[in-house]
Amino acid sequence: MAATLPVVAEDDAIAVLREATPFGEASPVVLSRIAALARPARYAAGERIYTAGDAADDIFIVASGRADHVFEPEVGAREPLKRVTRGGVFGWAGLLLGQTRRLATVTAVEPTEVLRIDTEALVALLESQPQEGGQVMARFAAMIRREFAVPELLAQVRRLSGPLTEEMSSLSLTMYRLSLWLKSPRPYLMLIGFALFLGIWYLAVEVWKLPRFREMPGLTTVVKEWFSPSPTYGLSLYTEEYYKHIVVSVWRVTQAFFLATVLGVTFGLLLGWSQRFREYVFPVFEMLRPIPILAWVPLAIVMFIATESAVIYLAFLASFYATALNTMLGVQSIDESYIRAASCLGASQKQVFRHVILPGALPFIFTGLQISIGVSWFSLVAAEMVSGQYGLGYVINTSYVMVRYPTIIIGMATLGLVGYTTSALVRLAGDYLMEWRVRELALAER
Amino acid sequence: MDMRPPPPATQTQGHLLIDDVVKVYDPEGAAVLAVDHCTLEIEPGEICMIVGPSGCGKTTLLNAVAGFHDITSGRILMDGEVLCSTDRPRSTPGPDRIVVFQNGALFPWKSNLENVIFGPVMQGKLGRREALDKGRAMMGDAGLSGVEHNYPGEVSSGMRRRVEIVRALMNDPKVLLLDEPYRALDSLTKSVMHEALLEIYYKNRVTIFFITHDLEEAIFLGHRVAIMTTRPCKPKKILTVDIPHPRDYSVLTSKRFRELIEETNDAVHEEALKAFQAGEKEG
Repeated sequence: MAATLPVVAEDDAIAVLREATPFGEASPVVLSRIAALARPARYAAGERIYTAGDAADDIFIVASGRADHVFEPEVGAREPLKRVTRGGVFGWAGLLLGQTRRLATVTAVEPTEVLRIDTEALVALLESQPQEGGQVMARFAAMIRREFAVPELLAQVRRLSGPLTEEMSSLSLTMYRLSLWLKSPRPYLMLIGFALFLGIWYLAVEVWKLPRFREMPGLTTVVKEWFSPSPTYGLSLYTEEYYKHIVVSVWRVTQAFFLATVLGVTFGLLLGWSQRFREYVFPVFEMLRPIPILAWVPLAIVMFIATESAVIYLAFLASFYATALNTMLGVQSIDESYIRAASCLGASQKQVFRHVILPGALPFIFTGLQISIGVSWFSLVAAEMVSGQYGLGYVINTSYVMVRYPTIIIGMATLGLVGYTTSALVRLAGDYLMEWRVRELALAER
Repeated sequence: MDMRPPPPATQTQGHLLIDDVVKVYDPEGAAVLAVDHCTLEIEPGEICMIVGPSGCGKTTLLNAVAGFHDITSGRILMDGEVLCSTDRPRSTPGPDRIVVFQNGALFPWKSNLENVIFGPVMQGKLGRREALDKGRAMMGDAGLSGVEHNYPGEVSSGMRRRVEIVRALMNDPKVLLLDEPYRALDSLTKSVMHEALLEIYYKNRVTIFFITHDLEEAIFLGHRVAIMTTRPCKPKKILTVDIPHPRDYSVLTSKRFRELIEETNDAVHEEALKAFQAGEKEG
């Protein structure tokens, strides 16, 4: 009569697993991997599935039918007999610490279909997914204690081992993400994107010679000039001048960004924290903020006698607005219940600020800093074009005046590279300070 | 109506008296009456379940006890000490009455263990070392060993709730205020959580003020179940659950449990209907 039963289909396996307590919260990816390990089996009514004392090899999940699960007396279960139906899990003795033998005898009461999963294969799979694996094991333990009423002393599940179950360090996490990234199509799509961009530039200027790009330096001209030990227009990777411009610009941005971060975060925290302060200051702030940085140039030159500080001031100003505004939004975005919970737990105002407001606003603060470093470069170059003697903005402007077109492109490309590097550094600092967030996002596979 | 609490448990601390409390939102303007002359006494070590439809005003009551909201009149006493009254409308939040929030309020930027030790460390009651030891031990007792160094975002929602309850119990509170803590959980996890809560309760016997809209949950967990009327909120019917503690899941299939559900279902349904119709009118 067992033969008349339908065989458990692949998709059904996942549905059955989802009904089983241990796998109830597993992700679809993990579920389907577990389902791939499962082998369907059928037992006739009255057939013995296993006997206490047998080697504990497979775990069974009931898909249909019914089985009686009878513990050996020495297990000390509150209720020796347990009837297992769809979604029920038995044969888990192999997951317990130091157990290699079956603790119970199981007999099919009706024609019963089950999924069998090899214990060691399951453990290996769970170890490869340490976070979720740990949860599945914890749910196994809870189920064994609660549903099977096994005493806590016995119901100790094995600990998953493996490099990732231990406290994941930031470095190993970064390496893990890097290896995932390299396995994904993303880096290759990125390379194709670059190749397309450079290819179109090359074709448009040097092959098709489109009228609009008549005066444009071509890709090969620029690259030759950039990598030439004796550049036609005096600036390349081999000239000291080139690095001096970079250093000057980077140093200016660093000062402006540092100042904007210190003042902007402080100011933003105050704006978000104190309603009073916000009422005084925010309207003025909102009125000054939309004034384009370029409109400040004349005033900056008048205010600061030295050109250097005028340039830094302009780069600072734009950064400051972005940082302050985002910090304020960050403080306001914090869920009220965190603040309430902290005050319930006896934290003082100062402690709430240090342990709730500051870390809670951090994600927004770093969004602000990302924007801030970008606009800092933007206004720096604008300022360097107007005044100053060194810097990448100055290079671009003077090259234009002196008709050194390839050097303009070298300046622009360098700005792109240096700007990208600085914002990557800001992102890294954020990841370092917000490990909790990195881990959450990593779990969500984003 | 039987307003008498059941015979007191072994606890001596955590007596809560809500005495004729009224709460009016926006008294100058819309004047919404949220709580209307509500009186409720909770004995030390009792699990008192507050049942009512969403938006009936039961959370307002909890917020008044916790010290998040003012009351308009009446008073609330804990162990004979006035928390708030008409003259001093807002009580001061403190570690003797800890709230477990509806959506969970573990700090996502602190590891589970750091969350658990937050209270004693902030209050300066324990040094960091001692707090860490106590925290680890309490997490172990609650079946949470292994996730100490994980962030809350990395563990299941059921575990997060348990961590949050442990975080509260670290402070030896007199009253635990639970605001529909299991609302967002799937029913399977919920059933595991109920037993876990009882397991923790049997060890501590702390007074529990538990808000829910789930009648089965209320009868399964509570010594008494207060069914509240909807806006304004006050006890409509107080049910003493005569199923002896300790309870486990077999209670759910017992005859007495079904009878108690039947006894109270009408009252709850009536209020739900009222709330629904009121909502329709507003909409």
